[in-house]
Amino acid sequence: MTHAEMSELYELYALGVLEPELALEIERHLDEQCEYCSEHLSAALAMTAALANIAEPKAPPARLKERVLSTVRPPKAARRWSFAVVALAAACLALVAFSIASRVAMQRMQTQLAGLTEERNQLRSAVEILSRPETRTVEFGRTENVAHGRVLVNRNGGFVFVGSQLPSLGSDRTFELWLVPTSGAAPQPAGLFRPDQSGSSVHVSSIPVDARTTKAVAVSVEPQQGSSAPTTKPFLIVPLA
Amino acid sequence: MYADDSADSQIIERLHRRDPEGLAAAYDRYGRTAYALFVRIIHDQTAAEDLVQELFLRLWNRSREFDSNKGALGVWLLSIARNMAIDYVRSAQSRFSSRLRSMDHVDALCFSRNPTGRESRIHDVRVIQEAFGTLSADEKRVMELAYFEGFSQSEIAENIHEPLGTVKSRMRSALARLRSVITGNKGQ
Repeated sequence: MTHAEMSELYELYALGVLEPELALEIERHLDEQCEYCSEHLSAALAMTAALANIAEPKAPPARLKERVLSTVRPPKAARRWSFAVVALAAACLALVAFSIASRVAMQRMQTQLAGLTEERNQLRSAVEILSRPETRTVEFGRTENVAHGRVLVNRNGGFVFVGSQLPSLGSDRTFELWLVPTSGAAPQPAGLFRPDQSGSSVHVSSIPVDARTTKAVAVSVEPQQGSSAPTTKPFLIVPLA
Repeated sequence: MYADDSADSQIIERLHRRDPEGLAAAYDRYGRTAYALFVRIIHDQTAAEDLVQELFLRLWNRSREFDSNKGALGVWLLSIARNMAIDYVRSAQSRFSSRLRSMDHVDALCFSRNPTGRESRIHDVRVIQEAFGTLSADEKRVMELAYFEGFSQSEIAENIHEPLGTVKSRMRSALARLRSVITGNKGQ
């Protein structure tokens, strides 16, 4: 078939109404990169595509555009929502972290404050005991390499235990002070304490210690919560006489 | 290059960059015509919406094949849309399932063929409709059966109970009239 004979067929081919054998012949020309056929078929395709406009105009629903675009991008609202969720989650995490940190800091400060208050009260008690003329001081140890210190007793105001080179303690253990009566009765619990890292400690007790009825101040190692009677042999006995 | 071709080139360039706004621009330019074509051929608005979505997804997936300087975007979209719609109807009716022609050559021409100047006619809605209005009722009938139903000339002859020669004659005269009005040329 010549190009002249085919010239009436391009539009029919573009419409898809050609019989298969004629369509095949045009396609063979196209496969051979025939410039003439390509040019004329392009023009025919443009004209038949324009025939779409003879369809009765029909506006698509407004939602269709967003539906089409949703196949290639997430909806803007979703993206905003996702961003908002992420931002909110990050803010919540930051708030929780800040809250936890604040609570921990607050607890630490409260603990420190309680410790300082206790130390202040003990110091005030110690000063009060030391300032009383009837207070007696009893030293023990007197050697640098063993536990040593002093006990200040007052028969009305209480007593102060000051110790150094005290033995180290397990985490589940504590020192417990005992007042040993002259009567031979059981020792009376007089307070718990733990030395600092250097093995030193100052403990102030408000329990009056009358040297006439109290034979000695003793210290033993006890369970963390303390005992009502010594469970171990006291490692330190300070006679008050 | 025509103004309309320039607009298509910009759309294609944006699609090459995988810019969804390029697809939005393509939809704004051709979505309405494609939707009306789908509704006219398949007579089902819900299915037409599905096909519009599929059409523009095809464009998104194949946009890299377009030459932004030579591609005929509108011609390709409306040719593919028509083919999809006819295929949909035939699949639904379980007939002619194997006769629908391949679009490979249409693809090749639309992706990288130099514009002929007729591409912009797609947007001359009034001119197209006026040109179609000049056809006789018989010519309109054979053109509608060809364009909207996808019938071959022999199928048209069978459908309207006329000799094949009569159908060919009516179609030839109808195309000549349309070509004359649409392109301003009487020949190819």
